[in-house]
Formats: sequence, structure tokens, C-alpha cells
Amino acid sequence: MPRNDGPHDVTMPQLGMAQDAGKIVAWLKAAGDPVAKGDALFEVETDKATMEVEAQASGYLTGITAAEGEDVPVGAVIARISDNAEDDTPAPSPAPQAKAAPAPSDKAADDGQDLPEGTPITMPQLGMAQDTGLLVSWQKALGDAVAADDVLFEVETDKSTMEVPAGHDGYLAATLAEAGDEVPVGASVAIISKDKPDAPVARSAKATPPETVQTPETPAATPPERAKERPAAAPPPTAGGRILASPKARRVAMERGLDLQRLVSEGYPQPFHMADLDTLAALPVKAPAGAVANAAAASIRLTAEIATDGFAAFAAWAAAAHGLTDADALLAGLAGASLDAAAVVEITRHGQTRRFAVPAGRSLAAIIRTEDSPDLILRDLRGTALRSVVMGAEDAPVLTLMPAAAGLGITLECSADQIAGPDAITLISAFAGRMEQPLRHLL
Amino acid sequence: MREITLSQAVNEAIAEEMRRDPTVFLMGEDVAEAGTPFKVLSGLVEEFGTQRVIDTPISEPGFMGLAVGAAMTGARPIVDLMFGDFIFLVMDQLCNQAAKIHYMSGGKLSVPLVLRTNMGATRRSAAQHSQSLQALVAHIPGLKVAMPSSAYEAKGLMKTAIRDNNPVVIFEDKLMYQDKAPVPEEEYLIPFGVANIKREGKDITLIATSSMVQVAEKAAELLAAEGISAEVIDPRTIVPLDEATLIESVRKTSRAIVIDEGHQSYGITAEIASRLNEKAFYHLDAPVLRMGAMDVPVPFSPALEDITVPTPEGVAANARRLCAGEMIHAA
Repeated sequence: MPRNDGPHDVTMPQLGMAQDAGKIVAWLKAAGDPVAKGDALFEVETDKATMEVEAQASGYLTGITAAEGEDVPVGAVIARISDNAEDDTPAPSPAPQAKAAPAPSDKAADDGQDLPEGTPITMPQLGMAQDTGLLVSWQKALGDAVAADDVLFEVETDKSTMEVPAGHDGYLAATLAEAGDEVPVGASVAIISKDKPDAPVARSAKATPPETVQTPETPAATPPERAKERPAAAPPPTAGGRILASPKARRVAMERGLDLQRLVSEGYPQPFHMADLDTLAALPVKAPAGAVANAAAASIRLTAEIATDGFAAFAAWAAAAHGLTDADALLAGLAGASLDAAAVVEITRHGQTRRFAVPAGRSLAAIIRTEDSPDLILRDLRGTALRSVVMGAEDAPVLTLMPAAAGLGITLECSADQIAGPDAITLISAFAGRMEQPLRHLL
Repeated sequence: MREITLSQAVNEAIAEEMRRDPTVFLMGEDVAEAGTPFKVLSGLVEEFGTQRVIDTPISEPGFMGLAVGAAMTGARPIVDLMFGDFIFLVMDQLCNQAAKIHYMSGGKLSVPLVLRTNMGATRRSAAQHSQSLQALVAHIPGLKVAMPSSAYEAKGLMKTAIRDNNPVVIFEDKLMYQDKAPVPEEEYLIPFGVANIKREGKDITLIATSSMVQVAEKAAELLAAEGISAEVIDPRTIVPLDEATLIESVRKTSRAIVIDEGHQSYGITAEIASRLNEKAFYHLDAPVLRMGAMDVPVPFSPALEDITVPTPEGVAANARRLCAGEMIHAA
């Protein structure tokens, strides 16, 4: 196509849906004039309106073949925009549209198959700001006889889907785009021949760069990517029917590790609101089955109870006064300091764990997140209804926090080879003291 | 602090801005000689003359169009639309022209225009003079919408509106023109998009516009007597909307009722409730309720008219149900 370098063809645009010719009212530039892309080049009158048509390239206006007052078919070349003013090669005659269409013969090289002789049918411009049309479907099969009024193909633009008539009698000798192709306005999509074609040609508009034709694996790359984006299936709703609860009650119950199903089992009426969570938290606990068996493995199990849990107030103070906003880091600090050595403390709550490296000493500001294996596990069950645990030792000593009648209950479970008995007593005592009066930690 | 009526507050705001800026002028039906049917603009023609306080023929689309043109060419018109119900007559000038010109001119043109009009039922003015149509214009991008809830807001918002370079529609409740409120002698402006927490509370948030703020405050009094602590918030401007303040309040109280005198369906209340649902869902302990005017033409019969709009007792009753954790069924 002569678009890359050299002269640029000036064609009669299609300004209306049902327009097949336009009358040149006036040339707004004279032959030899310099023109810039976007300059008004000529005026066209259609059955609906008179419009100025802008130059699509910069250069010099040459080779004018259509005079003012002349009716010119849509798509016909009426002038050129050339690199120099002296280019006097006339543009092709306005009459045959064939030359105006982007030459199908360019594509013939792609598959080595010659295109049949005939009239090219182009992608029409159906809207003012439309650059391409999506070829939805062919309404005629390759080789079929077609009449000018027959619907040849369907086009979808951003605005609508339209049927496009063949416009010429003959045979559908070539289709140059497939259903699903985006085709630039003005590009050829078909060839209609006068005589029944011997070898009709079917091509895709996507086939222009030859490589894409030869590499069928290219499109296969897309599906796996899509699969990755697909979100994991949502977990099925609670067995036995959906529990009615306010969004906030549901969220807080989850955060506090409370099971709304227990309220249902106890016969409390739905929907549940925040106030029901207090009821839920106060429900008596049933000891989990199998806990006793595990208990045998714990050679040391100590429990402590303190009258007040001072931690929340301490965390608020540390955040406000020192900008230490991660309450878990502080909690890890208090626990780690009770070991009296640098330690990694893991905090576990609602099945989520966070680990902190707590240096020796008392600086709460030096605590950082870590992924190292823990020296001490802190199981926070303060938001639950649990009042007692016998879970057995784990890979590290476990401190469990639970609500107690008065304030806070603390249980330490470990094996004797993790911490010796006297050290275990020191650890839980020191930690209980820190939780009751955290500021003492800083003294 | 001195107390003045909402009517005087609007009059002061316009007079002060007309003294400050000679491009500000006023036009509409009966604005000059009569000072509007509500006497809001009395005295302005005497001070500023008939060149700047212009009585127009009964031709809303005409003078609204004039004002849009005047605003585009550098003036700052204040258009008086005698009843909010007449906004249907100026929809093209307002919504297709004023609201879009800045955008469509690529920012080259501005329309610094104020359309002041009114809303509110229970004045026995019947179906064509009693509507609250703020939702219609709030829907159109390019328009700002202010709804003063007292004389204080009426003055501060009007001055801000006149200085704004965009078209602003102000809806005054026509039943509040004689309501007095403390208004400072010294100059002040109220910025757009900043809600006012009229009363703090912890159990439920009552978000209310214009005269519904008074309804919400009275409801809060009733609820306080029963031990329910209601927070009352006046958004002051619907566009722009101070969403952050509303969401913050609802995160605190977990419950909300949105009250506006426009018809309940497809209205301001629905928009605000929807935003709370989208942005504070996991903090809601009860559904967000809308309370607006009944979806009927405003009746002329006083007995019927009074039951079409939200009342303090109605708001309190709904708040009680939400706080008790009652199952709320969609109507």
C-alpha cells in the first residue's frame, strides 16, 4: 500500500451510512499548495450535510483528478499528497473504486495465492469516530452468487451491529477477513468477481504479518493466563444452612474466634448482632476431645492468673507516646524478655502466626519481624470463650493467654528438656507480672 | 451572637458578594420590586439598582439560558428560581449546557453560576410547588449541590457558591426562611464537601439534609431520653459529598438512617446508603435505612401532606428498631 512513504492518496470519505458518492463543493487548497496533516483540504456535500475533509498526511497537494462540482464515488482517489510540489503524476481516475481500496495483491504474497479479479469490498465507516469495524459474520459463503442488495457481512462498531450489503452483483470470490477480525475502515474485506471464481480465496485480516500465520502456538499462550486470574472458588456456605448475622457481628466473631453456630445450637434467635457476641463469649466451654491424651505429652504445665490485663492500655500508651503501633511486637517483647535472652517469639491467633525477633534487653523498639523458628510460642486465646487448655508441648514452649474470671489466665506448656522446672516457673511468673503491669518491664 | 433568619442570611450573603465583586448580579421572576414571594431579596434592588437586580419575564428557560451565557463570558449570575419545582423548565440550560461547557470546551470556558431555588413540603402548596428535587441535579456531573440546614449554613454556603467557578444549585427549604440561628457579624465561608457533625453519639448515625437535620436532631432528643445515643450529621453539600466523615461515623456507631425530603426512591438517601454499604459494610450491625418523602405526588390536603414527609417520631421509631436488633424487612 502506498501509505508508508511516497505519495498519500486522497480519497472521497464515506460521511453517511447510506452514502455512496460525494460532491466536491470546493477545493480549499490549490494544486501544489503545501498541506499539513489536519488541514481542511476540500469540502464535500452529501445528501445530509456539507463537511470539510481534513488532510490525512503532510506534503504538497498534487494530482487532483476531481473538479469542483463533480460527484465522486466513496473511496475513489481524487488527489495525492506528495513529498514535492512538482509531482505531476495524476491520481488514478475517480471512476473505478478498485484502485482506491488497499491493494489486495499486497497480501497475495503471504500465501503465494493470487487473488481473483474483481471489485474489492471495503470495511465501511459507520460512525464519525470509527477507525475499525469488527467483522461479526459472513452472510454469504465463498463462491456464492451475490446480488448488490444482498447482505454480505455483519459489522459491529462501538455503537451497533449493522448488516452491510454487497453493493455489486457477482460472486464472492475472496474473503480477506474472518469473523472476529477487527478490520480498519477502508481496508478490503472481500472481492466480488463478475464470473464464478475457479479458486475462491479465504484469508484472515490478522494474517498480514506472515509470522503470525506460521506460528499457531502464539494464541495458545492466552488461556493459561486467564486461568490464573480466575479467583479460587468461594468456600461453600456453612453446612446446615446460612446463619443470619449482621456484617459487623460476623466480622468480629471471626476476629475473636467465636463460632456463631454455637448460638444457633443453643437456640438463640437470629439474626445475630454485636450484642449476641457477648452472649456467645459467655457460653460454657466443652473441652475438645483428645485434649487429655495430648496432655500426657506435656511434662510441664503451669497456670497463672492475674487480676487485670494491663496490656491493652500499655499498647495504647506505647503507640501514642512512642509510635510503637504493632501491639503484637510489644506482646512478643514482653514474652521474650521473660526468657531473659534474645529469642524468636511466635504469636498465634485465629490460626494466623507472626514471628518476632526479640533482642536481649528491654528495648521494645528493636523488635522486628522474622521467619526464624520460634524459641517461644504465644497462643492468644483472649477473644475466645476458652478458660483452660491442655494441649501438650510443641516444638517450643507455649504460653497460652485466655480470659479468666477476674482478668487474664496464662498457661505455660513445655517439655522438661525445653525448659527446666524452676526456669519454667520463673518464665511464667515474669511474664504474668509484665502482663499485669507492663510498665514495670521498662523499669 | 446575634440571631437572624435564614432569609436575612441569604440576603446578606448576596449583598456582601455583590459589594465585593461587581460581576455578581441577580435575576429571576419578582426578584427586584417584590424581593421574591418569600421576601428573601428585599432591599437589594434599592442598593444595587435594576442593572444588577433584574426582574425577568415568566420565562425560566429564557433567563436561565441568559445566565449561562453571561457566566461563560465573565459575569457571575445568581439565578432565582421561584420554586424548586420549576427546575424541570431549565433542565437543558442547567444540565446540558451549564454542567458540560467547562468539560466540552476543554477547560477553556467556565460557568460560575448560582441557581438558588427551594424545596420542602408541608406548606400547603400542592403537588407542583412542594417537591424536593435535589436528586435530579445531583445526578448530573458538573453541578454542585448545596443544601443549607440553617441560617448559618445558608449564608456561608451561598458565599462559597458565588465564588465557585462551577455551576452550583442551592436548595433552601421554603419553610425555614423565618427560622433564626446564630450568624456571626464577621465574614465567613463554609467550604463545600465538609460535613458538620451537629451532635455526637455512639449508637446510631442520623445523616440528614436541609430541614431534615432539625427532624434528626429532634429524633436524637427523643432517643436520648431512652438511652440511645444518636449522632446527627449534616453533609451540607450533596455534591461534593464528605463521604469520609459519614463512613467514619458509621464505623463508630454501626448503624445509620439517611433522611432527605426528596422522594425516597432513587434519591439522595439511596445514594448515601449505598456508599455506606459499599465502604462500611463490615462495620454495619444493621441495614442502613432510607427515609424520604413518600413516593406520591405531594398531597394538597394538610392531613395527608403531613404524613408524606419524615418526622422526628418516625425517625426515632426506626432508630429504636435498628438499635434493638430487630429484623428489618425490605418494604
